[in-house]
Amino acid sequence: MITAEQKPIAEIRKMIEPYKRILVVGCGSCVAECAAGGEKETGMLASALRMAAKMEEKEVLIKERTLDRQCVKDFVIQLEDEIDRYDAVLSLGCGAGVQAVAEMYPELPIIPALNTVFLGETKDQGLWVENCVGCGDCMLFFFGGICPLARCSKQLLNGPCGGSMNGRCEVDADLPCAWQLIIDRLERFDALERLEKIYPPKAWSRKQGKGPRKIIREDQQRV
Amino acid sequence: MTEKRQFTLALFYCQNIPESGLGERQALEEEYRSSLRLFPIPCSGRLESLHLLRALEEFADAAYVITCPEGACRYFEGNLRARKRVDVAGDYLAAIGLERERVGIVANEKGKPKSLAALTGEIMDRVASLDPSPVLNKRTGQKGDAS
Repeated sequence: MITAEQKPIAEIRKMIEPYKRILVVGCGSCVAECAAGGEKETGMLASALRMAAKMEEKEVLIKERTLDRQCVKDFVIQLEDEIDRYDAVLSLGCGAGVQAVAEMYPELPIIPALNTVFLGETKDQGLWVENCVGCGDCMLFFFGGICPLARCSKQLLNGPCGGSMNGRCEVDADLPCAWQLIIDRLERFDALERLEKIYPPKAWSRKQGKGPRKIIREDQQRV
Repeated sequence: MTEKRQFTLALFYCQNIPESGLGERQALEEEYRSSLRLFPIPCSGRLESLHLLRALEEFADAAYVITCPEGACRYFEGNLRARKRVDVAGDYLAAIGLERERVGIVANEKGKPKSLAALTGEIMDRVASLDPSPVLNKRTGQKGDAS
């Protein structure tokens, strides 16, 4: 899922300062799971912003609403019934959500309240870790299901480096050495021979360098 | 002109606090009148930071929660979670320039658990040093209705 963190309230207040009628829009998908932009967080932020406005005797209308998913136009369109009452939207969606709303309502400023951080996994309650860089050419098969690009601090495709000690990473001893994990996993599946191959440098052209990436699935498109 | 207003405490409390049934609650409401709004919850772990913020936004000068003693929550960690949620609400208040002390948590004593009335009195004394909330004393910042 996509993870995000809320921007500092001072930064958010500065961005919304010129506007008098603001709709705070949360997202019930990834950013709800990582407790950054779901219904609760949207309510808390809206509440805090209303209190701040009252303390400064500012005449501002701040309402809130949470969509099930902000990055899909079929959900964003639910704002249609009220969007024209506002002069700005404060979005607690990820970067994709903010832009989906902005594209649907080009006449309105859509202000991001979150910093989108990474693609990751919910490891434990309150703990999210990056484990995919979205390279566009998944190599998890070769590395026993552990991605060295996301999880090795040095992004080595032919590891481990010389600094791995007792299964820990030399860059950050709190981290397991991704290459130790790769070797352990492949050993378990009797597949260590996959590491006999030298993996060439990653072809990053499938991730970046050609503008925004697209996935086109004709079988999923409208007839 | 600002109207003179009674200081109001929003008090959330775990229903497992001794002497916190309906009768005791009504007696407290009678005693403190509009300066106390009581919210019984099945466990303090049910409290969300949002509840505290909403109370402060809408009617309360301070919002507190009373929990069972640490280690005595019947759901194991409800009171520990409540403490974290109070901290989060405090962070929001600090970020907008309100005193953190407008939210708080009081854990009952392990050996000699106090009644709801006794704990309410202690919290009332504690919040007495706070000024009335600048959120409620200012004229509303809400500009009309969007509907």
